[in-house]
Amino acid sequence: MRTTGGKTMLRLHKLVKRFGSVLAVDDLSLEARSGEVLGFLGPNGAGKTTTISMVSGLLRPDAGHVELDDGERPERPESRRKIGVAPQALAIYDDLTAEENLRFFGKLALADAGRLRARVDWCLDFVLLTDRRKDYVKTFSGGMKRRLNLAVALVHDPPLLLLDEPTAGVDPQSRNVIFEKILELRTSGRTIVYTTHYMEEAERLCDCVGIIDHGRLLAIDTVDRLIDAHGGKSVVTAVRQDSEERIESSDPIADVVKLQGAGDIVSLRIDRPNLERVFLNLTGRGLRDR
Amino acid sequence: MIRQVLALAGKDVRLLVRDKGGTFVTFAFPFIYAVFFGLIFASRAGTASKIGIDVVDEDQTAHSAAFVDRLAGADEFDVTRATRKDASDDVRRGRKVAYVIVTKGFGEAAGGILFNKQPKLEVGIDPARQAETAMVQGMLTKYMFEMITSTFTNTAAMTSQIDQAKKLVAADKSLGPARRTMFDRFFNELDRFTTKLHEEEPSKSGSDGNRETTTPDSLAGWQPMDIETTNVAREHAGPKNPYEFSFPQGIIWGVLGCCASFGISLVTERTRGTLARLRVAPIGRVQILGGKATACFVSTLTLATVMIFVGRYVFGVHPGSWWHLAVSLTCIAVAFVGIMMFLSTLGRTERTVSGVSWAVLLGMAMLGGGMVPQFYMPPWMQGMGDISPVKWAILAMEGAIWRGFSTSEMFLPWAVLAGFGVVFFAIGVRGFAWADEG
Repeated sequence: MRTTGGKTMLRLHKLVKRFGSVLAVDDLSLEARSGEVLGFLGPNGAGKTTTISMVSGLLRPDAGHVELDDGERPERPESRRKIGVAPQALAIYDDLTAEENLRFFGKLALADAGRLRARVDWCLDFVLLTDRRKDYVKTFSGGMKRRLNLAVALVHDPPLLLLDEPTAGVDPQSRNVIFEKILELRTSGRTIVYTTHYMEEAERLCDCVGIIDHGRLLAIDTVDRLIDAHGGKSVVTAVRQDSEERIESSDPIADVVKLQGAGDIVSLRIDRPNLERVFLNLTGRGLRDR
Repeated sequence: MIRQVLALAGKDVRLLVRDKGGTFVTFAFPFIYAVFFGLIFASRAGTASKIGIDVVDEDQTAHSAAFVDRLAGADEFDVTRATRKDASDDVRRGRKVAYVIVTKGFGEAAGGILFNKQPKLEVGIDPARQAETAMVQGMLTKYMFEMITSTFTNTAAMTSQIDQAKKLVAADKSLGPARRTMFDRFFNELDRFTTKLHEEEPSKSGSDGNRETTTPDSLAGWQPMDIETTNVAREHAGPKNPYEFSFPQGIIWGVLGCCASFGISLVTERTRGTLARLRVAPIGRVQILGGKATACFVSTLTLATVMIFVGRYVFGVHPGSWWHLAVSLTCIAVAFVGIMMFLSTLGRTERTVSGVSWAVLLGMAMLGGGMVPQFYMPPWMQGMGDISPVKWAILAMEGAIWRGFSTSEMFLPWAVLAGFGVVFFAIGVRGFAWADEG
């Protein structure tokens, strides 16, 4: 079982959510701890965003419940001070400046003007937008908007962050900055729930990954353990002058030595199991958006 | 809670102001509408009539008749001869701008102008009509000057006045010999000067008095007559000027613009995801909708207030009752905040809501007299206007500005507007909650 993180900051208990006849989330239970990045992986329509919406208080579960660290429920507005959400859609105002956006959203949670000012300054600095603070968001690049979207989630200094595909549509440089910032946030002890389609993001960032499909949590553990449990064997591919040989292997090094003894090899490749393979093994290879 | 509602409202007002299209529709268009139609009504009124005045000749002398004839022939006046009572009634009821009474003794004073007697006129005018008051007084002074000038240049009249003066000097026993000699010499010289002037410029010294006259600088400040002005409070039966008619309609267009802008902005918040972000903030739905409603309310009220003040100080719109108007504008804001909420539930995209909203609002404006005044409509259509909040909004403003409604008469439009607001807001809130989670 998982061993990462500290205190339990979020507990989902047998969550169920239906939209008409569609069962979007089916009996989903899990926990996230402080200082932990919990990744949600799942195909389109798997129920990730619905789950995030219930955790943030945006949707009420049909059954089950969400608990924050001290048993509070996110349906209660006051409890939502503990939650920061960076939605997948850029939920910021184009006709306000970066500073105005932060000040406005911050004001909804923070009463103290001095603290608000300090948090706005910190957030702008954190996402590297201090020198653009007075510029309208509509003049920003996609990466800058993503960073501001993240900053708005942080402005009231919440211990729990819900990041729904926070790197969608950004260039590699901005994506790298966002990764670094998320790791900084983890180091500072925040709990981060992170949904993504990108396996390499989950492998790089997440202490723990939950794979969801059809509203059900299929597996949840550290990346290494998921790979061990669901990734299958490594595949060794040896190409000779006139043929190609592929073998599944639990001990690829030993198998490579064996293959070399059987004749000349032009090229050799070892495909170790990874999270993508875990994902495909668990959710299947069929298209979901047909 | 108030802090958060104000933050939400401040954000919405800021966004509205930064949206150039929204700002134009909400703030600039109403002014253009009000001024444009005010000018049209004003120009029509200008071609239709001059300043209508009643003239009462109580003196019945040649001088008073000549003065009345001058006024009747003036380009600026449309003169009706009347009795004192009829004249007063006409002004009180707003049928005439002013009345002018040529009082007894006018002719004697005008004939003895050299003896510092001032002919006296009595002018009755509505005190609310400041511009016309000044204009009427100016015109009367001008025509009196013309009459005096013609007297000075009329040899026969002038000779008659000099002869009369000589007789008065001769009859006055209190004058000493030196002063009597001085006056005799002065009037003889004046007599010779008048005769010589007539011989040298016979063509210009005629007595017709139709030529242009100017006031010499040395006469600046001197009044050729005594004008006694009487304030006649008018019983208003219509707008005092065309802007009192066009400004309420202009305000309505601003209110409709506000209403549509904020209704659409609620949908924009939903489609852009900012509404979801607001909903996961530590605030309730009441605050979110309260913020939007507050922004719409404040913008509507601000727009209406600014327009009223511009109307008051630039275009001469004089509300009959300021407090009636304040309550009316508040009720209008309440009504259209409710309608704004309702409009936001009429679709799930900005395009749909924008199209449907304007269709609904234009329908309200058409029926309610926001486009074509209701009195131009057939009776059955005027009756249908009762279902339009625009009709009641215009009625509430007109009632306070120029219809002279009593407080009890104002209650009906106020209550209807507040009722519209509450009902539409309730429907809107219910519809909004459904659309938000669908």
